[in-house]
Amino acid sequence: MTSEETNDSAPALTLDGTIWAEVDRALSGITATAERGVLDVIVHVPPAEIVRALKALKTDATLNFDYLRSLTAVDNEDDGIDVVYHLYSTTAKHNLTVKATLANDNLFIDTATTVWRAANWLERETAEMFGVRFNGHPDPRTLLMPEDMDDTFPLRKDHPLAEIEVLQGEGMGYSEEGQ
Amino acid sequence: MVTESASEFETQDLLLNVGPQHPSTHGVFRMVMQVDGEVVRDIIPYIGYLHRGAEKLCETMDYRQGIGFMDRTEYLAAMNAELSYVMAVETLAELEVPERAQWIRMILVELNRLASHLMFMGAFGIDVGVFGTPFIYAWREREAIIDLFEEISGDRMMYAYLRPGGLAWDVPTNFVSRVREVLTAVRQGIADFDGLLTKNEIFIARTKGIGVISAADAIDFGMSGPSIRASGVPLDVRREEPYLKYNDINWNVITRTEGDVYARYLCRLDEMHESVKIVEQCLERLQPGAIMPEKMPRMLRTPPGEIYVRTEAPRGEFGVYLVSKGGNRPHRLKVRSACLSNLQALKHMSVGSYVADAIIVLGSIDIVLSEVDR
Repeated sequence: MTSEETNDSAPALTLDGTIWAEVDRALSGITATAERGVLDVIVHVPPAEIVRALKALKTDATLNFDYLRSLTAVDNEDDGIDVVYHLYSTTAKHNLTVKATLANDNLFIDTATTVWRAANWLERETAEMFGVRFNGHPDPRTLLMPEDMDDTFPLRKDHPLAEIEVLQGEGMGYSEEGQ
Repeated sequence: MVTESASEFETQDLLLNVGPQHPSTHGVFRMVMQVDGEVVRDIIPYIGYLHRGAEKLCETMDYRQGIGFMDRTEYLAAMNAELSYVMAVETLAELEVPERAQWIRMILVELNRLASHLMFMGAFGIDVGVFGTPFIYAWREREAIIDLFEEISGDRMMYAYLRPGGLAWDVPTNFVSRVREVLTAVRQGIADFDGLLTKNEIFIARTKGIGVISAADAIDFGMSGPSIRASGVPLDVRREEPYLKYNDINWNVITRTEGDVYARYLCRLDEMHESVKIVEQCLERLQPGAIMPEKMPRMLRTPPGEIYVRTEAPRGEFGVYLVSKGGNRPHRLKVRSACLSNLQALKHMSVGSYVADAIIVLGSIDIVLSEVDR
């Protein structure tokens, strides 16, 4: 990746020349903030408005974010869990990263499966790995993990990276001595 | 085993378990099919048998150690998987990749695409029911490519050859002539497949009009690679967001409009011609030079930040989402699997078709379960 914006290492990056102006217009009525990422613009949206925001981004005629590249979460420990959506437009050919930060005591967010069917399995994986609950998900089973593993969230930072025997010895729960 | 009655004639749908260890499932994939006679009414896929927690493991290891996990994630196109990963790290760490390294990388990922598509041709032949001939033919040419990779990296599958910033070491001195040899063999191989399958009446009867998915549905399911291009969507990261040197050479994005299994096969076949073309042009442009940046830090650290790097792997978009909080290891590393998204559309593509056709539809996605489960 050798495009010009990646070499821009000034501390305060402006959003001029990015699609933020368009995004801001499409998200009217939603308190969204933006920052410039290395490749794509990152938009922060309140979790309560996420589906409204995603739908607006998808249906907007100029933005037309019809393709969900990826959906995942990042555990920031005390700062809560970020749910991250990577969007793409197959017609306008631009990218956008959307983030919603969930507080640790309220890990609920509405499902994006009503916006893209692609979100289905990605949300199932995010749910079992981080303990994020997607309200209204049509198929809230585990995806990669065993069905009975419902209180253990492997990709959380507080989950130890332990020997398999330690994990299984405690009946799929994890022991404190792990790690 | 037997569930609800489906119609006024009191036929009963049957739940049929396929896999997890069955030759038709290309690894450990299990699906429960609800069948009414020979017709598939519903499919419930079960994945996760190969989940090894590569993402979690990468978070505990140095950036250079993570390369090995990428190989093991997408083992049929390990070079392509490594590429996304090292590009994510080096872009975040602001390393400038030397020209020569970029051309060599491009040759390697395209050769790996050829090897992967050859693998598809062979395995798909088996799904369709022509066991033997295509599979062995595919193995012959794939072996030539794997041999070359072994000469370069020392390993047949888990190369760990790309590094953030460049390559682990330079290629052998006879690299160019060896690649030309391999290309000659591969070109012959592609012609063989063309002759064996493309106009084969039985092959066409088994694949044409099967597992159709429209462009709009394919986009909505987040499909990528030949699976979406066969539905008429010219989605190819190499063209839309060019990386390496894809902008400097001539090549075409292959699309078909039919969206069926046969179109997905033809897409891959034509893509192999394009890959050969790309590698030939790269060989002409390859110049001696450095393969790593001059100033490489002893310990590779990235500034805080995040990046989502995507490249076009043989099966579609292989994305690496890297979140750094500074230091020498990722805070979070997510692998966007092309197969996972493609596999989601399996139910949509196979419901209403015959059981035997559902197997072909699964084969036409060209899944690597290791990449799906990570």
